[in-house]
Amino acid sequence: MKSEVTVTETAASNAQGRPAKSSGKKNKKAGFFARIALFFRQMIGELKKVVTPTRSELINYTIVVLVFVAIVMLIVTLLDLLFGVGVGWVFGGSGPKES
Amino acid sequence: MLSAFGRAFRTPDLRRKLLFTLGIVTIFRLGAFIPAPGVSYNNVQQCLQLTKNNTSLQQMVNMFSGGALLQVSIFALGIMPYITASIIVQLLRVVIPRFQELYDEGASGQTKLTQYTRYLTIALGLLNATTLVSLARSGQLMQGCTVPLIPDSGIVTTILLIITLTAGTGLIMWMGELVTEKGIGNGMSLLIFTSIAAGFVPAMNGIIGAKGWGTFLAVLAVGLVTVALVVFVEQSQRRIPVQYAKRMVGRRTVGGTTTYIPIKVNMAGVIPVIFASSILYLPALIAQFNTPTDGSNIPDWVAWVNNNLTRGDHPLYMAVYFLLIIFFTYFYVSITFNPEEVSDNMKKYGGFIPGIRAGKPTADYLQYVLSRITLPGALYLGIVALIPLVALVLVQANQNFPFGGTSILIMVGVGLETVKQIDAQLQQRHYEGLLR
Repeated sequence: MKSEVTVTETAASNAQGRPAKSSGKKNKKAGFFARIALFFRQMIGELKKVVTPTRSELINYTIVVLVFVAIVMLIVTLLDLLFGVGVGWVFGGSGPKES
Repeated sequence: MLSAFGRAFRTPDLRRKLLFTLGIVTIFRLGAFIPAPGVSYNNVQQCLQLTKNNTSLQQMVNMFSGGALLQVSIFALGIMPYITASIIVQLLRVVIPRFQELYDEGASGQTKLTQYTRYLTIALGLLNATTLVSLARSGQLMQGCTVPLIPDSGIVTTILLIITLTAGTGLIMWMGELVTEKGIGNGMSLLIFTSIAAGFVPAMNGIIGAKGWGTFLAVLAVGLVTVALVVFVEQSQRRIPVQYAKRMVGRRTVGGTTTYIPIKVNMAGVIPVIFASSILYLPALIAQFNTPTDGSNIPDWVAWVNNNLTRGDHPLYMAVYFLLIIFFTYFYVSITFNPEEVSDNMKKYGGFIPGIRAGKPTADYLQYVLSRITLPGALYLGIVALIPLVALVLVQANQNFPFGGTSILIMVGVGLETVKQIDAQLQQRHYEGLLR
């Protein structure tokens, strides 16, 4: 709970544009690792506010992507087979084996 | 859902767009098979058979060009020069003020920037073509293969070859723009998607052949989980609420609505990964050029690069790759999303974030959220991009392991984008789209 308070306080004080001097002083006072720890706490605080897709959305999107990929894969594989045979037939016969 | 796919084909203008895209894809694949002038088709096939199981650096690039690179076909360079050029032009906005001016200018400036991108593409294409031809000539393109890929080593053939490859790049660039304009989805990403999809079936065949069905199913399961994970993160966003003030315009009330600014966890998409891998490709390329061909002893630094930076499973390689991805994620987000611009726009239309004053505090707040939400995004990108490299160690699979990293990110990103676009087109005519 305590960390939550610190997080919001810092976010607000950053955002409300208090005189730069005081915030600068505050940052200097805190050590390097303390600032990194604060950054990570703030990061987790922001991550908690992230909206994630619901279960059904996730399943739906995943299936849609997979179907799309499967269709493209099928088309491309068929084309590749066709062109591979065709090109082999045109160029394969009389090329120089050794130079 | 399948009925929705059918419906997409029964809608006349959507059908035209889909067929147009399909036509372009067909030409793109055809070009990947036609050998460039002067290249011996038989010798190339022989070499491909010999070096099939090599995990060389070229394999990775080969994946991006859909197998065309190692065949030295007329589309050997693929869409990569265009992608690299457009990324470079976007990055140059930071360095060159003139580019930023053009960008701010609106439509006319953007046209100019597109033009620069095209010139740069041709230049990069020329560079890549020359590299490829010299590698193919000296036999380094596919190591361990002795038959010459280009039997005629005359100067005319070489120049013809370079010109053809560059022209192929230009043609691909044009086709990509045509797809964006008249087809469905973003042409550039759709073409790279096609290239990657082309490598899937052979790669899966390879796994079945080498390791058997058990490993194949395991790989497939890992792939499915990764796809779901990527979809999950791509769809996650931090929504910053925005209120619009009610105001009177003439006799009507306008605004008074609540919306939000979506800040995706992974705002940069797949671009940092592509860029990091192409940067990492550079030292290996330089080393390859400095390797003496006559068998005399190799310079120390070349040996060092070869030992540490070209092998995908080396810890140093992984670490550098990971750090580069994080760097480019931050860099790319900082140039694509400008908090000051957004806050200015909000102020102009009477919008504000509840609890935050308009103007600079808003910009600061956006920056605060952005920099904190980008770190998990960057870490996620780095980890997903490392999956194939880890798999390389665990399963000893090929480096262009089909279900991992870059290819999955591109696949899901492009798939979602394209399907959403088809869906939007469908909803113009029917109430129900693909996604429901």
